[in-house]
Amino acid sequence: MMDDSAIIERCLKGEKEAFRFLVERYQAQAVGHSFAILANREDARDATQEAFVDAFQSLKKFDPARRFYPWFYVLLRHRCYKLIAKKREAQNIEDAEILAPQAGVSGEERIALEKALLSLSREDREIINLKYLDGFSYDEIAELLKIPRGTVMSRLFYARKQLQAKLTGKFH
Amino acid sequence: MFMKDMNCEDILIQKSALIDGEKAELSDEQINAHLADCETCRQQIEQMENTIVLLRRQKRREQEADLWSAIEARIDAESKAVSPLNWQPFVLLGVFLVIYKLLEMLPERAPGWALRVVPFILIAVLFGFLKENPFKINSELILEK
Repeated sequence: MMDDSAIIERCLKGEKEAFRFLVERYQAQAVGHSFAILANREDARDATQEAFVDAFQSLKKFDPARRFYPWFYVLLRHRCYKLIAKKREAQNIEDAEILAPQAGVSGEERIALEKALLSLSREDREIINLKYLDGFSYDEIAELLKIPRGTVMSRLFYARKQLQAKLTGKFH
Repeated sequence: MFMKDMNCEDILIQKSALIDGEKAELSDEQINAHLADCETCRQQIEQMENTIVLLRRQKRREQEADLWSAIEARIDAESKAVSPLNWQPFVLLGVFLVIYKLLEMLPERAPGWALRVVPFILIAVLFGFLKENPFKINSELILEK
């Protein structure tokens, strides 16, 4: 499988079609991440699409020493928050759709957690997603969100505390 | 970080990093020393561990996405919209026209009709090169009635 830097090199040589490999490699992950922020599938797809177009146009600025996805995530996040600012008057949070049904996890438990996650602020929901659904380390989250590791530690703590408060009385 | 400067919240933040399998600024021993004397923190840690266990059992729902065709169309549209105007042909045309004018001004030369059509040929070549039709009406510029 071609690695990201080889694909980017081909794109920079004018092979637009090579960018397709990057889109297909990361689109599901990216839509999942933007959905975690926006909580609306249609908006998540729009923001992801815009972010990929931004990425294509900014590839010249990409540092090949870095990994593609953390660089792209900054663009994706920017697009998500831009969309939120644009739609501030009519925010539309969808029904639960973040978590997948799992063996050993009751439907009731999953739905309650979904609702609790959706009731969190976007920033809290985003950092919890990155930590527990993606399994990123604190250092990786710091890279994605462009914040110091210590801030990741405290933001995650307060986000989890909020989630805990929403869940209290349900499963604890 | 000094223990004496730490309050319960700081201890909980540090402990949560350890539960997450991350490095904390305090050692396990330092945190446990605080917890031995703090019932409130012990209760909060138990709740926090329950939440973390619950979260770790979850998986993200796969989001179906097939965005390439839409992205490709957007890239094409944007590149067309922002493609800078190629200035070199215009400079070249200008140079040719100046040379032509100078030739025309030379005394004792009567330029034939062939030389007179040279500027028109040059302009036609320029439009051909830019793939533009000067007689085409841009429908986007027509105001709706």
